Amino acid sequence: MELQQKITILSGAARYDASCASSGCSNDTPQRGMGNTSQGGICHSWSDDGRCISLLKILLSNDCRYDCAYCVNRSSNPVQRASFTAREVVDLTMEFYRRNYIEGLFLSSAVRESPDHTMEEMVQVAEILRNEERFGGYIHLKIIPGSSSDLVRRAGLAADRISVNIELPSGESLKRLAPQKRKESILAPMKFIGSEIGTSLVERRKSRKAPRFAPAGQSTQMIIGASPETDLQILKLSQGLYSRMNLKRVYYSAFVPVNDDNRLPVLSSPPLLREHRLYQADWLLRFYGFSAEEILSDDAPNLDESFDPKTAWALRHPEFYPVEINRADYATLLRVPGIGVTSAKRIIAARRFAPITPEGMKKIGVVMKRAKYFIICSGRPFEKTGQQPARLRQTLLLGDGSELAAPRQLVLPGMG
Amino acid sequence: MKKYLYDGTPEGLVSAISSILESGDDPQQVFLGVRKDTLFEEGLFLRNDSAKAEALFERLRLRAPDAVHTLWYFMMAETEDIESSLMRYVALAFEHGNQVNGYLTHPDVKAVVGTARKAGRELHRMKGLLRFEQLRDGTWLARMEPDHNVIQPLAHHFSRRLRGQEWFIYDVRRRSAAHWDGGVISFGTVEQFSRPELSEEEKVMQQMWQTFFKTIAIPERKNPRLQKSNMPAKYWTYLIEKQDGQNR
Ligand code: SF4
Repeated sequence: MELQQKITILSGAARYDASCASSGCSNDTPQRGMGNTSQGGICHSWSDDGRCISLLKILLSNDCRYDCAYCVNRSSNPVQRASFTAREVVDLTMEFYRRNYIEGLFLSSAVRESPDHTMEEMVQVAEILRNEERFGGYIHLKIIPGSSSDLVRRAGLAADRISVNIELPSGESLKRLAPQKRKESILAPMKFIGSEIGTSLVERRKSRKAPRFAPAGQSTQMIIGASPETDLQILKLSQGLYSRMNLKRVYYSAFVPVNDDNRLPVLSSPPLLREHRLYQADWLLRFYGFSAEEILSDDAPNLDESFDPKTAWALRHPEFYPVEINRADYATLLRVPGIGVTSAKRIIAARRFAPITPEGMKKIGVVMKRAKYFIICSGRPFEKTGQQPARLRQTLLLGDGSELAAPRQLVLPGMG
Repeated sequence: MKKYLYDGTPEGLVSAISSILESGDDPQQVFLGVRKDTLFEEGLFLRNDSAKAEALFERLRLRAPDAVHTLWYFMMAETEDIESSLMRYVALAFEHGNQVNGYLTHPDVKAVVGTARKAGRELHRMKGLLRFEQLRDGTWLARMEPDHNVIQPLAHHFSRRLRGQEWFIYDVRRRSAAHWDGGVISFGTVEQFSRPELSEEEKVMQQMWQTFFKTIAIPERKNPRLQKSNMPAKYWTYLIEKQDGQNR
C-alpha cells in the first residue's frame, strides 16, 4: 500500500480522538470568559473543522482484534485496514517537523496481535525518534490496556506524555461494551504511571541527570452518553483521577453512534451540550477551587442544560453575592460568573494602583453582561443585585440566549 | 503642551524618551511624535543618541524587567502615533517597577501593553505558521509577510528548534532576511529575491502534508468560519496545506 493511502486511512481513523492534537492548546474549552485556550502551546495549523493541529496525530494500525461496541475499528466492522512500519512513522514525523508543520507526534493504535506486541512497536517508534534521530520535539503515546509494565516504563521514558483511555465511566459499562478490556488493565497502568511520574520528579530534584518520566504528565479520555452514569458520577471519577492519580487532563467525548448495536443507546444526536458542560465543570474542578459535590448533588446529579455550572452554582447561592470587586480575594473573585482566571488576576493587579471603576472592569476584559448581576464596585452596584433567584434566572436566560447556540465540538469515540 | 519630535527609528524613540524624562517635564504635559519635515512643523527635535537609548534600557532593566520586555514587543509593532503613551508608560514603569503592566486601567498602560500583546501574539502565531521548504541545494527557506517585525525573535526560536539544518527566513514585506548556518544567526536585507527551485523530496512531503491536513478534519463538522478566525486568510499565501495547485 502506498504511503499516502496509509496516511489517509490512519489519520482518518485518528481524527475522532478527543484529546486535542497538541501539547498545550485546548480547543475543547469553547466557553467564553473561562480560561485561556492556548497556554503556550503552538498551533501549526487549523483543520477544516476549525480545530488546532499541532501534532501528527495518527494510528500505527487500525487492524483490531478487539470488538468494542462503540468503535469504528472494531474487528466485526468491514473497514479497510492498514498499518505503518515503525520506520514510516519515524520518517513522517521527522520530515514534518523539519518543515515546521508540527510540534511532534501523537501515536495511538488498534490492538493488532496482542497488547504487548502493539505496544512494543509503538515504543520502538518513540525510541528510534529519541535515540537515532535525536528528536527533541513532543511525543504523546497512548498506552494499550493490558500491556506489560516494562513497556509502559519504556514508553514513559521516551515520551512527553502518555495516556491510558479509561473509555467508560464505570467498570460495569466497560464489561458490557468493551468486553475484552478489563477495568484493572486500565487502572493498573494509570496507577503505575502516576507513581513513576512521582518518583521521577523526586529523583530529578536530587539530580538533574535522573531520567524524566512523561514530563508532560498523563491524561485520559472517556466516552459520555454510551452508558447510564450520571454527571455527578463522572465528575467524582474525574476528581479522583486528578487528586489521587495526579492526572493532568481528563477528556470527555460525546458518544456518536457509528455502529448498530443493541448494547448501545439510541440517540437522536451526540450529547454535545452535555460534553460541553462537563468540560466547563472540569475547569471548575481544576482551576476554580470547586469540588464535584459543590457542583452537583444526589438530588440534582446532572448538569444544568441552560446554564454553565458556575452560573448555576451562583444561582443556588444568592447569599454569596454581591462580591466587592475592590476587596474580594482571588478565590472569591473566581466564583463570579463572567470573571475567569485571567480577569481575576488582572483585577488584583490593577486595584493596587487605584480602585477599579465600572469603566476599568471593561478595560480589564471582564464579561460584564454576566458579571454585572453579581458584583459591586466600591459599594456601587451595576445592576439591581440581590434580585430574586427566579427573576435573575430569567434575566440571564433571556439576556444570554447565545449560550445555547455556542459552538460545540463533536467528537467520536476514541481508539486504543 | 510641549511638543517634541524624534527621527522615527526605535533607537531615536528611546533616546528621546530618555531626554524628556531627564528634562523634568511632566510627562502628562508632553507630546512626542515623529518628525515629518514639513515646513511649519512645530516642536523641539531630539537627536538620536544610541548611548542614551542603551542607558535607558539598562536602567529600566534594573527597575522593571517586564517593562523592557513590553518595550521590545512594542517596537516590533512599528506603530506611530502612540509614542506619547509609550513615554508616559516608561515614566510609570520607573515609578512602579514591574507592577506597571498590571495597571491596565490606566489608558497609556493599556495602549502600550495592548500593542505589545498584539505583537507577541503574532510572534507566537508565526512560530506555528512558518513553513520551511527544502531547496535543491539542501538548505531550507521560509517566507512570510507578518504585520509586525518579528524576524529577530522568530529566528532565535528556530535556531533552537531547527538547529541541525541550514535555513533562511525571508520577510517579503520588509525585504529582510535571517540566515542560520548551523552555528550563528545573521540578519540582513535582500535587494532582489527570486525563489529558488525546490528539491524533489520537498514536493513529495508537501503532498503528504496536504493529505494529512485533509483527512484529519472531521467531515461532519466542517467549519470554515472557525478555521478562518483562528488562522486568518492573510497567512495562507505560504501555507502548504492551503495551496491546491502546484505553483505559488
Ligand atoms: S476501541 Fe481500540 S481496542 Fe476497541 S475496537 Fe476500537 S481500536 Fe480496537
